[in-house]
Amino acid sequence: MTSPAHHLSLPIPRWAYAVALLALMVTWLVLQENGIALGHAAESLHEFFHDGRHALGVPCH
Amino acid sequence: MTTYTGVLLRGVGAGGIAGLLAGLFGLVVVEVPIRAALAVEEARPAVESGGHDHGEMFGRGTQMVGGVLGAVIVGLAIGALFATALAGSRRWFVGRPPFTRSVTLGAAVFGAAALLPAVKYPANPPAVGNQDTVDYRTMLYLGVIAAGLVVVYGSSYLASRLTHLAGPVRSTVVALAAIAGVAVILLAFPASPDPIPADMPSEVLWQFRLASLGETAILWLGLGVVFGLLTDPSVRQSTARAQALAA
Repeated sequence: MTSPAHHLSLPIPRWAYAVALLALMVTWLVLQENGIALGHAAESLHEFFHDGRHALGVPCH
Repeated sequence: MTTYTGVLLRGVGAGGIAGLLAGLFGLVVVEVPIRAALAVEEARPAVESGGHDHGEMFGRGTQMVGGVLGAVIVGLAIGALFATALAGSRRWFVGRPPFTRSVTLGAAVFGAAALLPAVKYPANPPAVGNQDTVDYRTMLYLGVIAAGLVVVYGSSYLASRLTHLAGPVRSTVVALAAIAGVAVILLAFPASPDPIPADMPSEVLWQFRLASLGETAILWLGLGVVFGLLTDPSVRQSTARAQALAA
């Protein structure tokens, strides 16, 4: 340990895992959803974020 | 600042700002080759185009808004994940200032989650890509990202296990291990299954790929920089307070 300074490491509460899961789900819905989870409703989501998906490098059709 | 909630809120805020910057870059820069690619798609005979027609359900204007909004939403989500990863990390550049830690993690994740997939499976504009292979391509793309993140995590783990080595030696060993890991990923994953259609001009393709890489760079590096700016002062303050108390 060179310096005791600058610790950002914190205890992570249990609900943080719920937040992480939610964040992953949101990312999935915006970037990846092709109908696996939402079926037909996914199509409008997919179309709305179409430019964003392409621009962020996500495989598309 | 010393609570996880404080760090999380800063992460979400930093992600929102980075996402907005990336989205605006997309609106101004990435839209140009997207428009050119859509023109190529529309010039095709209707029967051959396959998949579905872009812009039928939503107008172009709405999709451009969706492009910015999508980047902001993804920014908020990855900001939360980024903050949690940094708050929970006991190994990641311990002892370095929070700003350095944040920018370095942002750069590392950009390398694993954006640059590496961009090298192996370059982003494609509309009018490229077969509907039938999209699930397979998505699996390869997510697999490369996951493997890249394993290399990032493994590198920090290796660095934490080699603290007995001199700094430059340790850095060299870790860098060589990371390069070897990336080389294995690039060699092990199969090539992209879809050929580039002959009617897609290579200028449009490369303009799009570079612009798309620019947008992801703004997203990840912006997240690292803004999160660092938001956390660094308060971490320094609480550190100073703790030292004053200890003295």
